[in-house]
Amino acid sequence: MVESVQDYAIFFMDADGYIQTWNRGAQKTKGYRPSEIIGKHFSNFYMQKDIEDKKPERELKIAKEVGRVEDEGWRVRKDGSKFWANVVITALYDDEGELQGFAKVTRNLTERKEHEDSLQAANRLLLEQQKELQRLNEAKDDFISLASHQLRTPATAIKQLLGLLIEGFGGPMPENILNIIEKTYESNERQIEIVNNLLQVAQMDAGKVVLRKKAHDLNALLLSLQKQYSGVLADKGQSLKLSRQSGALLGYIDEQYFRMAIENILDNASKYSDEGDEIEIIAEAGNQYVHIAIKDSGVGISPEDIPKLFEKFQRISNDMSHRVSGSGLGLYWVDKIIDLHNGKIDVESQPGVGSTFHIYIPIGG
Amino acid sequence: MHRILIVEDEPILRETYKIILSTQPYICEVASDGKAALAKCDEQTYDLILLDLMMPVMGGIDFLENYKHLDKMKSKIIIISNLSSGKELERARELGVHRNIVKSDFSPKQLIAAISHELEAAK
Repeated sequence: MVESVQDYAIFFMDADGYIQTWNRGAQKTKGYRPSEIIGKHFSNFYMQKDIEDKKPERELKIAKEVGRVEDEGWRVRKDGSKFWANVVITALYDDEGELQGFAKVTRNLTERKEHEDSLQAANRLLLEQQKELQRLNEAKDDFISLASHQLRTPATAIKQLLGLLIEGFGGPMPENILNIIEKTYESNERQIEIVNNLLQVAQMDAGKVVLRKKAHDLNALLLSLQKQYSGVLADKGQSLKLSRQSGALLGYIDEQYFRMAIENILDNASKYSDEGDEIEIIAEAGNQYVHIAIKDSGVGISPEDIPKLFEKFQRISNDMSHRVSGSGLGLYWVDKIIDLHNGKIDVESQPGVGSTFHIYIPIGG
Repeated sequence: MHRILIVEDEPILRETYKIILSTQPYICEVASDGKAALAKCDEQTYDLILLDLMMPVMGGIDFLENYKHLDKMKSKIIIISNLSSGKELERARELGVHRNIVKSDFSPKQLIAAISHELEAAK
């Protein structure tokens, strides 16, 4: 039976490792005919380096001591070519417990080995590519951050210098010139806003936004926002109504970031509403969350645009977007900030009727 | 006449603040970082210092840490930086500086108002 097995090399050796039998599998695997190999030492199948390391002797010694040794490694054929082998050497004893020799089974696993090697190489390549992508992404964040910082300085200088003229420090100016300067000033204000948004988002994406959350009275914060916005909105004939419960309304927030998030939504509500419209903030306490709704009667968002609303660099096109400025970063940032608060934001909207943004903020930490 | 020191590393902003302040009866001097500002403060007493925070060589906070050891009458200080919050501003408050202006947020009139408010309070 052993003679007929072709998938494995199976042969017997004496107690010193000299080959005594040779089957067809052995001939197929290693290339020797029986007459060429019987009587030779089994170290013939090992790589030169392994022979120098005395690996064949070591394996026999282990098999002799524990009964069996298994190994995987390169072995050499008659023609000098190598193959990846799984080798099992089993010690054989007679009835008196005297070592008679060894049985050796060798399987050619070269195909499997090559497959594994190419998988490993592919894996290494993937890991390298992943690292490279990460590096490129960080480089992109750094670039945006650096470029925004650099752009902010000249934009700030333009703002102050034009501000001097608009505020009359350069003396009286003809109406038409003042008009041009004011338009330039407004355009520069947009630029500053975009640069600031880019910086905020770069900081966010780089994981540099760390919230310092405490229990705050959201009613007080919303009241102060109402006061802050009343003047700004009045310029557009708009008004801001605040509907809240009496007393304190505790929410667990980073006051500065949370305030900026609400400001962002209020800015949008104003931008996308007509002159004379009312914007309303409704605040109420739930069981575990404070619910703040910011409601406008502006241009609204169509259902297919809602999923895109909180994505980066998405600007929704509607009746007003061509005359309203924006970086497409505001709501992306707001969503991330609310997320860092362990809160939630969503929106309901109907084109032509208006939008309501719902924010839920945990009451406790 | 009040003497004011502008500490700002960006030449264009240094120049801009100087132009804004030149509309008022102030004597203005400039320094491009905290170290240069310390040297100036050693020679001269200023009524008010406009101080940027992020600067090469020596930033605003390091300037304040050193400035408190100068053995002379202290100036009023207004921080004028890109920051609206954070560790640096907290440290500045600990060092006794409470007025902070965000560079891209103010108008010339507001800057002048903030300066004269501080100078009035010093009287």
